[in-house]
Amino acid sequence: MRNRLTLVVLALVALAGSVTATAARSQSTPLTIYAAASLTDVFRALDPAQRYSFAGSNALETQIRNGAPADVFASAAPLNTQRLFRQGLVDKPVTFTSNRLALIVPRSNPADIKSVYDLKRKPVKLVIAGAAVPVGGYTRTVLRKMGLSSVLSKVVSQETDVRAVTSKVALGQADAGFVYVTDAKAVADRVNVIRIPAWAQPRVRYEIAVVSKSSNKAAARAWIKMVLGRRGQNALKEYGFLPPPTGA
Amino acid sequence: MGAGALTLGASWVATAGAATEDDLAFANFGAATEFLVKDFYAEALKSNVFAGTEANALRHGRSCAAQHAKALSDLLVGAGDVAPLEEDFEFEWPAKTFKSKNDALATGIGVLRALLGAYQTAAATVTEPSHRVLYASLTASVGQQIASLAGFEGARAVEPFPVATDLETASDALESYLG
Repeated sequence: MRNRLTLVVLALVALAGSVTATAARSQSTPLTIYAAASLTDVFRALDPAQRYSFAGSNALETQIRNGAPADVFASAAPLNTQRLFRQGLVDKPVTFTSNRLALIVPRSNPADIKSVYDLKRKPVKLVIAGAAVPVGGYTRTVLRKMGLSSVLSKVVSQETDVRAVTSKVALGQADAGFVYVTDAKAVADRVNVIRIPAWAQPRVRYEIAVVSKSSNKAAARAWIKMVLGRRGQNALKEYGFLPPPTGA
Repeated sequence: MGAGALTLGASWVATAGAATEDDLAFANFGAATEFLVKDFYAEALKSNVFAGTEANALRHGRSCAAQHAKALSDLLVGAGDVAPLEEDFEFEWPAKTFKSKNDALATGIGVLRALLGAYQTAAATVTEPSHRVLYASLTASVGQQIASLAGFEGARAVEPFPVATDLETASDALESYLG
């Protein structure tokens, strides 16, 4: 009887040790988070312990479709997450923040751009993101809404993500570029920001989802909950992002 | 010519005309601004600064703005574009706007004048004839609303030649309200 009790106690101790080890492993193993380039600064500041891959959401979508080992996907456009969701590659996405577009010009402003309409009136070297990149699609929406699509003929370079557009303008390699307000804020000392009217703004919605093949879904879900919670939303606000729209 | 242009005496009907991007830019601006105008009337009514026939005029103005926004949204959707929604905007009114009748009227008339200027230009320049009819109708309605508000204070609202403005000028005039 005494031997049997000892065995039970030993078994319980072993089980407890195993549970603790699993929990420790899931806490210590960083999640792999694929996120839109525009989220670079805020996500790194929010949780430096995770492993990130930042790029254009379209490129990240392709990588996840090709089996990249991501746990979480945060996209700058619903199109990318919803496509993966329909194919069963991510769990149901949720909207977690929104953003606005702005036109930026280098501080020296060599093309003397003071309004979005100046892009049509003046010779200008314009840099934008490619059409498949969320910010590139949003840029085209702004131009179409304002009746300014003709300025696309002045595009000298199409970039793979918003950080590349921001960088080119900040370095003076282009006269103007369309970026998110949050990216403009990050280089405020090197660029002038020209506002895009509210009536011409696209609906910029960021969605986040757990990747279906994640080996750490519980931690991925907890991380998304953190982003949706007060801590995450405060960080996003601090970096200039807007709250998710009502009803999203 | 689109069906809307021929349906005299009836409400404007959206037609799938060959609208240019410039035509649609006026519709995008107009729809957003009509939401702003609707919000102005709603806030003015909430302020309790207006009563009786004046409040009735505000209610009527609010209804007109809602119908205008719908017509312009229909135009956009008919052209294969995405129509703006009221919840896309955060309207911002200066703190004192609805504290007194004078301030409210000055703000409302200012917004309507900017919209009127854009509609005048649209009525003269858009390519699709049925859309021109719509913009001419909107121009008339907004002019009537300006006269109605100005009449509250016995002010003279009649201008011999209200100024037509381009979209950029009209947009700049409303930037502080549209958020």
